[in-house]
Amino acid sequence: MSAVGIIANPASGKDIRRLVAQASVFDNNEKVNIIRRTLRALDALGVRRVLIMPDTAGLGLRALDGLRLSLDARIIEMPVYGDARDSTRAARIMAEAGVACIVTVGGDGTNRAAARGAGDVPLIPVSTGTNNVFPVMVEGTVAGLAAGVIAAGLVPADAVTYRTKRLELYVDGELIDVALVDIATSRDLFVGSRALWDPGRLREAVLAQARPGTVGLAAVGGCLTTLSPRNTHGLYLRLGAGGRQVLAPIAPGLVVPVGILEHRLLEAGEEVHLDPGNCTVALDGEREVEVGLQQTVAVRLTTAGPRVVDIEAALAEATRRGAFDLAWEAPDGPSGGC
Amino acid sequence: MAEISRDTLLWIYERMRLIRCFEDKVAELFAQGLLPGFVHLYAGEEAIAVGVCAHLTDRDYITSTHRGHGHCIAKGVDINAMMAELFGKATGACKGKGGSMHIADVSKGMLGANGIVGGGGPLACGSGLTAKVTGSDSVTACFFGDGAAEQGTMHEAMNLAAIWKLPVIFVCENNLYAESTPWFYHCAARDIADRGVAYNMPGILVDGTDVFAVYEAAGEAIARARRGEGPTLIEARAFRYYGHFQGDPLTYRTPEEEEEYRRRDPLDQFRRRVLERNLLTADELDAIDARAREAVEAAVRFAQASPYPAPEECLTDVYVKYP
Amino acid sequence: MAGRSMTFREAINEAIRLEMRRDPTVIIMGEDVAGGARLPHVEGRGEEAWGGVLGVTKGLAKEFGRTRVLDTPISESAFIGAAVAAAATGLRPIAELMFVDFFGVCMDQIFNQGAKLRYMFGGKAKVPMVIRTMVGAGFRAAGQHSGCHYSVFTHMPGLKTVVPSTPYDAKGLLISAIRDDDPVIFFEHKVLYDMEGEVPEGEYAIPLGQADIKREGRDVTVVAIGRMVHFALEAAERLAAGDGVSVEVVDPRTLSPLDEETIISSVKKTHRLVVVDEDNPRCSMATDIVALVTTRAIEYLDGPPQMVTAPHTVVPFSPVLEDYYIPSPEKIIQAVNTALGRV
Repeated sequence: MSAVGIIANPASGKDIRRLVAQASVFDNNEKVNIIRRTLRALDALGVRRVLIMPDTAGLGLRALDGLRLSLDARIIEMPVYGDARDSTRAARIMAEAGVACIVTVGGDGTNRAAARGAGDVPLIPVSTGTNNVFPVMVEGTVAGLAAGVIAAGLVPADAVTYRTKRLELYVDGELIDVALVDIATSRDLFVGSRALWDPGRLREAVLAQARPGTVGLAAVGGCLTTLSPRNTHGLYLRLGAGGRQVLAPIAPGLVVPVGILEHRLLEAGEEVHLDPGNCTVALDGEREVEVGLQQTVAVRLTTAGPRVVDIEAALAEATRRGAFDLAWEAPDGPSGGC
Repeated sequence: MAEISRDTLLWIYERMRLIRCFEDKVAELFAQGLLPGFVHLYAGEEAIAVGVCAHLTDRDYITSTHRGHGHCIAKGVDINAMMAELFGKATGACKGKGGSMHIADVSKGMLGANGIVGGGGPLACGSGLTAKVTGSDSVTACFFGDGAAEQGTMHEAMNLAAIWKLPVIFVCENNLYAESTPWFYHCAARDIADRGVAYNMPGILVDGTDVFAVYEAAGEAIARARRGEGPTLIEARAFRYYGHFQGDPLTYRTPEEEEEYRRRDPLDQFRRRVLERNLLTADELDAIDARAREAVEAAVRFAQASPYPAPEECLTDVYVKYP
Repeated sequence: MAGRSMTFREAINEAIRLEMRRDPTVIIMGEDVAGGARLPHVEGRGEEAWGGVLGVTKGLAKEFGRTRVLDTPISESAFIGAAVAAAATGLRPIAELMFVDFFGVCMDQIFNQGAKLRYMFGGKAKVPMVIRTMVGAGFRAAGQHSGCHYSVFTHMPGLKTVVPSTPYDAKGLLISAIRDDDPVIFFEHKVLYDMEGEVPEGEYAIPLGQADIKREGRDVTVVAIGRMVHFALEAAERLAAGDGVSVEVVDPRTLSPLDEETIISSVKKTHRLVVVDEDNPRCSMATDIVALVTTRAIEYLDGPPQMVTAPHTVVPFSPVLEDYYIPSPEKIIQAVNTALGRV
């Protein structure tokens, strides 16, 4: 029986997209409730130990407050900065403690940060918002069940997890950061409020996923081709007016024409040099890095992304193995059954 | 993010530097016992006032807090008049009758620092209502602290602004402590931005040490208000360098916390980022620094050379007319 | 003057209506001042549900629209504070605080913002607002809907306080209050709303700070406030009829500013003083007026001044108790007799 980690990001679901688009609001109370539902599912499956990241909003503490569980859930002791460093550090501590998997509650950014510390520990990414590609909209109870069957050894983790892609960002040849879904350059001079929502400001993008049915750059790519998380290819896009135009949901509630000047498939391991010049680089839809005139920007597509649990596959496998079958008597017995 | 002109960049830095110099000087004067009363200093939170006021003109309004010097400077109130007010002089912005906690200049749209925590929320609805009734496109920015977020007035004001679709933006300056009480103790929701949902307005969280983040968010919120689409709640998180009031022993903070926030200093951050991008030159920024220091020194000289009000001035300005 | 008879309620409504017609910056807001905001079956037909809980503002929304006649949520701090800053930025708002007893939930906006703003800003702002509020016992409305509390507001520098006693005064004083550049608290006694009286057509303004001698007399000055003016007049009538005592009834009409001269000169004439006030006695207008007269005209007094006030209690509910609480003509007659040394 292994432990499970939970990383919940209090800052997700509150950026400017709530103002400029109609992005969904994910308040802290709901995040607390997701953690609680996850914990209850883990408890029901007999998981003994859960490690929870501390955070500025006290999500973990509040989730535990008054919750009666048999399992031992504790908040990790570590400094809290209230930014992405927290998720990375927590994932590293959880990996070192030998957790079987980590449930992340947040957006693409949360998972990017957690992935940096998680190593080979698989993630179960629960989306807290409408504009995420990497995490999935899944009920916390279900995420907890998937984590529980893996941690309890009811299914072999390897059978129900897959390795995702990773986009590495190099500025002046140095690895600065990684993204899980897309990296784009924007004409914006400053990171500002982080979110990207104006396609007119985008210059180039490298995508690890291209999927209709998503929101953001992956959806733009999805108008051209389909690249699932398991496919090893990537897609390069040069954006701007004067070429092909596609209609894509660039942000929640913003379905707008996006001009594509060029696009081509990328092989795993391929490196793309982006146009230099004052810009910001957005990782998974959030402006993160400001780049000066003299600096070079390159992106490399790799297959070294975090391992992710296929939640449905995990639960299907667990069901097949009878993990959810409780002891029951024959249909002619006194208590019946199904 | 909207384009940000060179002039705007210069203005932003100049205002932030002026606030920092002003507050550092006030701290020094206070320590020397030269200022009567007590002062609440804004150093560390410059990016919030300046990032918001960069979008406002004299026809727009702001309401402020007891920590109001920064809002005044960002809104263009004359620093000579401000400094003279702190000295209690006749040439003060309020003729020496208001002091630090009530500096105002209605002609600049600055509706007063406010000694009552949460006092400004209803007032912001008032200037917003004037804009709505008279059909002007004026917007009001209501600055309030994390402590004020727990005042009933703020809840009432945000609800009223929302139902009347007033052109008001509510800017919560979460500097982590209500006096000495940490926000994660006094705020059940933890993120004040979360409360936007309850008032049917967008609620967003921005880094209040990053003037570009504030500038962008405030710009969108103000544009929305000007279009008649109603209020927005912005929670901007920053750090006050001085205590709740000057002389506060600051025993409630940890050195690590201070170090972390100094690392994100709004002025250093701005300087580094615009220099890295070759948007402004070090010479230009240095010149602004020097001018700000000199302007503050001149303000102190002006204040010190100014006369005190005549004692019987105590009796005037209570009413416009009292028989 | 060309007289028409109308109620106190109608006189107030007319004052607001005339000022709103004259000056587009005058607006009115408060709980249910129109009533039924955003209800299609009310607003869609240009109707008003209530026009204020007691119908004082009926018809205003229909004439001036919902931008200038604003129903508010039950958020007195928010809308009274909004009135303060709306006043400071160019409007002339009239805010209705339904019952004066509710001042507890919004006093900061009245006292720390509205009243002090001009002074704290060194005279560089003005706050031309009116807060209309209902006062007074007699409706069996008990402890939280029946107080007077004039003295609380009169105590505060920066505020003006007005307590009309007749329909004529109500109209003329409210017009003055709306035109005044300072914040004015306008107290309306709910028992007086149905009282009829002569009210001229058109605009007229009664200056704030001018008392009115409601009945001239020689023997004793009775200063009475608000509804108490009518009790004083009744007492005066009975005293005149019975014992031939000549009572002068002075109605200050505004408590801040207070027309000290009219009170002092009346006392100089009669040498006796009785003050009648429905408010509680400690730190009240009654004690204030007695202090005024004793400091400025003690040598003219032939006996100790008398005060007829409510007791130092909460306004009670039971009719028996409430009737005991409210000063009565009988108590005034008794006080006048005491002042005259006749008991």
